[in-house]
Amino acid sequence: MDGIHDLGGKEGYGPIEVDEDESPFHEDWEGREWGIAQCARTPGITIDWWRHCRELIMPEDYLGRPYFDSWAQTDFSTYIEAGWISEEEISAGKSLSKKNDYGEPAVAMTLKQVLQEDHDHAVRFDGEIETPPVFAVGQQVRASRHGNSGHTRLPQYARDRLGTVHAYHGAHVFPDLSAQGTEIHQHCYSIMFEASELWPEAKWSQDKVYLDLWESYLSEA
Amino acid sequence: MTTDTKSPPNFDAGKVAEIHQHLHSHLPSESALRVKALETLLVDKGLVNPKTIDAWVEAYTEEIGPKRGAMVVAKAWSDPEYKARLMRDAPSAIDELGFLGKATAHLKVVENNDEVHNLVVCTLCSCYPFSILGIAPPWYKAAAYRSRAVRDPRGVLLEFGVDLDVDIEVHVWDSTAELRYLVLPQRPEGTEDMSEQELAGLVTRNSMIGTDRDLGEEIEADG
Repeated sequence: MDGIHDLGGKEGYGPIEVDEDESPFHEDWEGREWGIAQCARTPGITIDWWRHCRELIMPEDYLGRPYFDSWAQTDFSTYIEAGWISEEEISAGKSLSKKNDYGEPAVAMTLKQVLQEDHDHAVRFDGEIETPPVFAVGQQVRASRHGNSGHTRLPQYARDRLGTVHAYHGAHVFPDLSAQGTEIHQHCYSIMFEASELWPEAKWSQDKVYLDLWESYLSEA
Repeated sequence: MTTDTKSPPNFDAGKVAEIHQHLHSHLPSESALRVKALETLLVDKGLVNPKTIDAWVEAYTEEIGPKRGAMVVAKAWSDPEYKARLMRDAPSAIDELGFLGKATAHLKVVENNDEVHNLVVCTLCSCYPFSILGIAPPWYKAAAYRSRAVRDPRGVLLEFGVDLDVDIEVHVWDSTAELRYLVLPQRPEGTEDMSEQELAGLVTRNSMIGTDRDLGEEIEADG
């Protein structure tokens, strides 16, 4: 979707705040939201659906509210959309559900247990598919001219641009469909774009931008 | 709306856009209160346990952070065979130190040298190799960095105090898939006698993202 999240190459966002202190959380609520996001997910949710729900936040909120605030908003939206919580319950500040159909209440995990869980949560997204990859390392390719109106991982700035296959990563879960609940694998490549191909002011530059792109985003150049 | 059944998402983007509009008007305006409202409700429903949230905060405050990445870099500097394994198969190599975890199953290491400087960004969201660098810095997740890193990397580097020679190529890695990138900075000169632990102390978080480069500056100043 051509949303506010697709920020690569957009201008006017000003200088970077480089001097922030290095503590992981600057406010308590940021840590709470990080923790909530780690231990609560609806069944059947995919990372791509969650990302898409974050992209769908109203532009003024997406840009104007703090980062972990947008995670909380995304969590609210995914739970409400799946029917787990309601807006009435948010207003009431408690569950209004008559039945308890949520199973056993979540148990308390210790530090040791969550560290183990973090290690076990090294999720792989690759898988075997029967069709061989279409493109070879070193080959020139052109990125699609258009994205799609749902979730996609082809940024606007690379569309219709010429690149070179730098590496082949194997077949990875295709995000555009995973955001709709369908998990299929598709060949995924690292594509190198010359900065001069991407930006008018980079005409003489030797710099390069690498993107990891799925096969259906690409065509032979 | 019934809330009696655990149901999977319907993947209805139109519905979610509508929900966001409602939440825009109906949630408290302060972030702390919004997150409190979410936690309160999820705890009341038994979906999350507040002690588990405590444990995740502690894990990413005390245990998991850029110190892990620094140890990997120092080991790669000290042990050529480890470096070869790291460049070939980073997830396995970091798992030798117990650091494999969230968002690092498809980790790639990109190495700086005299000709190339690497810079990592996620222009579409905020992808970051959590289990090895911890929580991403606020600037990494902000619009200014995400928009400019791919288009004006040298200007970005200058704001971080890195004045890159024109002869050094910048390679920007935009994390558009589930691959995550870790920059292997150059080992500073004059550190031949240092232990791995001492070397790890020289490695900054930003140098592993690519917004820092010359780690030897402090040694030269001290010498």
